[in-house]
Amino acid sequence: MTPSRAWTLREILIVAVLGAVFGVLYLGWVQVWLIVQAIFGAVTMDVVMGFWFIVSIIAAAIIRKPGAALLSEVLAALVQVLLGSPAGLMLLVSGLVQGAGAETVFAATRWKNYRLPVLMAAGVVAAIFSFIYTWIRFDYGALAPGLLAAMFVLRCLSGALLGGLAGHLITEALYRTGVLSGLGIDIDRRQGRG
Amino acid sequence: MADAPAARWRDVGVRYPYADAPAVGPASLTVGRGERVLLVGASGSGKSTLLATLTGLIPHTIPAEVTGKVELRGENVATRTPAQWSADVGQMFQNPEQTLCGMTVGDEVAFALENQALPAEEIETRIGWALAQVGLPENWRSRRTMQLSGGEKQLVALAALIAQHTPLLVVDEPTAHLAPAAATHLRRLLLDRPGDAAVLIVDHRVDDLAGLVDRVALIDADGSAVDGGAPRAFFRAHHDRLAALGIAIPPPAALDAALRADGIVLAEAPLTMEDAVAGLEALPPGEKAAAREIASAFATAHQARQSASASTEFVAALENASCAPLFGPTVLRDVSLAVRRGETIAIVGRNGAGKSTLAASLAGLLRLKAGRRTGPMGAISFQNPENQFLAGSVREEVRDAWLAAGTDAAAAGAKVESTLAQWRLSELAAAHPFELSQGQKRRLSLAIITAGGRWPLLVLDEPTAGLDGAGRAALEAEIRSLAAAGHAVALVTHDLDFALASCARTVVVDGGGIAADGPSGAILRDRALLERSGLAAPALLPLLDFLEENRC
Amino acid sequence: MLSRVHPLAKLVACIVWLAASILIFSAPFQLAIIASAVAALVLIERRSPLLVLALMVPFALFGFGFLTTSVLFRQESDFALQMAGETPFGREAFSAGVVLFLRAIACGLVSAVFALTTDAGQFIKALMADWRLSPRIGYALFSAMQFVPDLAAEAQQIRLARAMRRGRPPRRIPDPLETASLIVPLLAYAIRRASRAAIAMEARGLDAGISRTVLGAPLLHRRDIAFLGIAFALLPALWWVSRLTP
Repeated sequence: MTPSRAWTLREILIVAVLGAVFGVLYLGWVQVWLIVQAIFGAVTMDVVMGFWFIVSIIAAAIIRKPGAALLSEVLAALVQVLLGSPAGLMLLVSGLVQGAGAETVFAATRWKNYRLPVLMAAGVVAAIFSFIYTWIRFDYGALAPGLLAAMFVLRCLSGALLGGLAGHLITEALYRTGVLSGLGIDIDRRQGRG
Repeated sequence: MADAPAARWRDVGVRYPYADAPAVGPASLTVGRGERVLLVGASGSGKSTLLATLTGLIPHTIPAEVTGKVELRGENVATRTPAQWSADVGQMFQNPEQTLCGMTVGDEVAFALENQALPAEEIETRIGWALAQVGLPENWRSRRTMQLSGGEKQLVALAALIAQHTPLLVVDEPTAHLAPAAATHLRRLLLDRPGDAAVLIVDHRVDDLAGLVDRVALIDADGSAVDGGAPRAFFRAHHDRLAALGIAIPPPAALDAALRADGIVLAEAPLTMEDAVAGLEALPPGEKAAAREIASAFATAHQARQSASASTEFVAALENASCAPLFGPTVLRDVSLAVRRGETIAIVGRNGAGKSTLAASLAGLLRLKAGRRTGPMGAISFQNPENQFLAGSVREEVRDAWLAAGTDAAAAGAKVESTLAQWRLSELAAAHPFELSQGQKRRLSLAIITAGGRWPLLVLDEPTAGLDGAGRAALEAEIRSLAAAGHAVALVTHDLDFALASCARTVVVDGGGIAADGPSGAILRDRALLERSGLAAPALLPLLDFLEENRC
Repeated sequence: MLSRVHPLAKLVACIVWLAASILIFSAPFQLAIIASAVAALVLIERRSPLLVLALMVPFALFGFGFLTTSVLFRQESDFALQMAGETPFGREAFSAGVVLFLRAIACGLVSAVFALTTDAGQFIKALMADWRLSPRIGYALFSAMQFVPDLAAEAQQIRLARAMRRGRPPRRIPDPLETASLIVPLLAYAIRRASRAAIAMEARGLDAGISRTVLGAPLLHRRDIAFLGIAFALLPALWWVSRLTP
């Protein structure tokens, strides 16, 4: 039995609550980040950026259907809008960009492979998409190439580790609690597809 | 079809994927038009599973293999998706306040009606009607649901249910966590309604419902449904079977069985304790004396005695304490409470009175805002036992508990096995704690906090929620043995019968402090106090009054 | 008053203003946007200026990072200017940094205007009614929102349970390590509730793609068109004004 492509209401709700939990966590994380950024400059953003992709990685690894990565980032942003976060609209745009980045990797593997390397690759590509977006928004073209390269590498690393690896660890821990029964990850594992 | 029954299950069996045995069935059950049926069964007997097949949630939304036929008003349920049956069946599941999906009260009540694409004016009218029926003011329409208390949310969920105007209502274990106000409304709305709406209720605690339904049905050990007939006759006829299955028997029926065991048969099978007392009064004098003896023994068995080994050594004490939850304002002021070894205390009070806060402060887990606490820390078995499970398997949890208590790794192995056996968890040793049933989780939670005798004070927060008759009896016995072993046990509960049966002392929390503190027998019989504190009297009360009046 | 404008009209206007802020690299223009947003909040919406100031702080912090980065790491082409006697903190690097700083605040305030003047429920309802957002997603969002306060309560319970094992009462605010260890139990709790909420919502008739009534969805009025007109017209006007200043 392979998971059918159509989304069930349960899956939509799970993505929504993933967005809610991480939306709330993001609100907290942002406060710390902003203060550090004011001191250390824009590079901080690259170091911590990976955490912003984590919800798309977890959602995709659990649900295993096309669109999971993208939908989760958008819903996480919408939850922050609903919670009244002033940055809501911008988070919506950045969520779309990051989610699209992660989604392309899963699309490239035809939504069938969710092992650690793929998850880390999703984190990296999300970082790349995000980098392009902030390039435009914050005029990276005018910055020293050395710094640009450093920012790019840091962001990709952050995406791979804070997004891909951390997302993998959280997914594994969640799977062991048994709450994921019946979802894409459970169906695949029971049929030996990892 | 005009005269088809509201719902009918024909030899329905359900097997979950990767399971060896069927979850329920084959079971046959019929709910006639306008009938009110109560379905009882032991924990894990498959009652909720059977209900889930009614609109096709199983197998459509919850994958499982279904055999047999389920019909709604004569139509096979498989012909429509579960959502498409919502105009015909209104369903309320456990903890309805956790499944709200409207931003405002009006939105919440309108949700199901919007899904049916009813016109806007019709929806508005029904919202007004439903809010009035449940007793909520009209201006609550625009109130944000997130600002409501748990009990208020339950009322809104109830309003949303009846606004659907469905010919069949199905309610799954409503009273377990319902606030008393919501429970009263539920009983009134569901079971006192005129018209031909049929109602099917599944529950463990049947005391208040038994007298309000037309029929009682039972899920037997082999998964089949037994149609018991009218409630009075049901509890008389099936008493032994119910006891064997571990299903909770309402106290009046249990008393009736005790009398019959001695050859005394009341004129009419009692449904409420008042009925039973009336029956006792109506007995001829010769029988009456014997009956009084039996009733007295019965009452004694259902009340906790102060443990003989209760010492005078204090285990924990609060002096003039002000208690507040972790991030909230002070809810209790100037509280003084002292607990001894071997004592059993029940902490009761209305929802939101601060029972859990008091319990956690007593155990030393919450810092006091004022006053002081003496004694070593206590342990809490939480309302939601999952909150304290940290390990990946049952065995690991117990092992961690023993290691934390100071046992060295070598000796821990044997102790773990004996603890598992003591709490009947040996078969589940390798399972993940989250996968256990409610009763099993409760046992694991108790096993963890009693391992190693690390904590002299044990606090149990609403431990009877979701337990069937056998589970409650086992818990009662466990509390008794814990007290006998020298632990102090504090029990937070809104089940006053359980409080009476397991705790010798009761503390009533009301009005920001302790309203009363004394022997359970005295406190729980003070009707005025109970009413002031928003509590419902224990079912045993009329019997105790009768025995009091008829002392030789 | 802005609160009564249709949420989707506001959304479109705000997105266009955000785009303008991102595409036009001019400090006076960004200032003009900031001024408009502040005027909207203080004069039209009657919010306290202190609130607006407080709102600006996080965006200012964010933007300040770009100011410092720009000043410190501007491209080597500035070397020529340096050689010519100007310092690295010269006008070009500094003014570019200032634009980025102001842009961060401008974008933040436009976004804040939307957030403060839009009712979340009305926004989602408008999306469902007018832009055909699937009701499953809309109500999934509402349902997920309801969980958020309970998440906090659940987190407290878990912390109390752990405190019990440790033998010490918990601190008021959890440290980062403790917060990280709460993630998986909270997610497990949230997923379990989500599964049950899905069943309840389905039992109440939520289906995919079936047309349904949306009660109380905002309607489009003439004033919303007028609002859009003003918002669109104001942008080029501001840009023209900003070019007048040196």
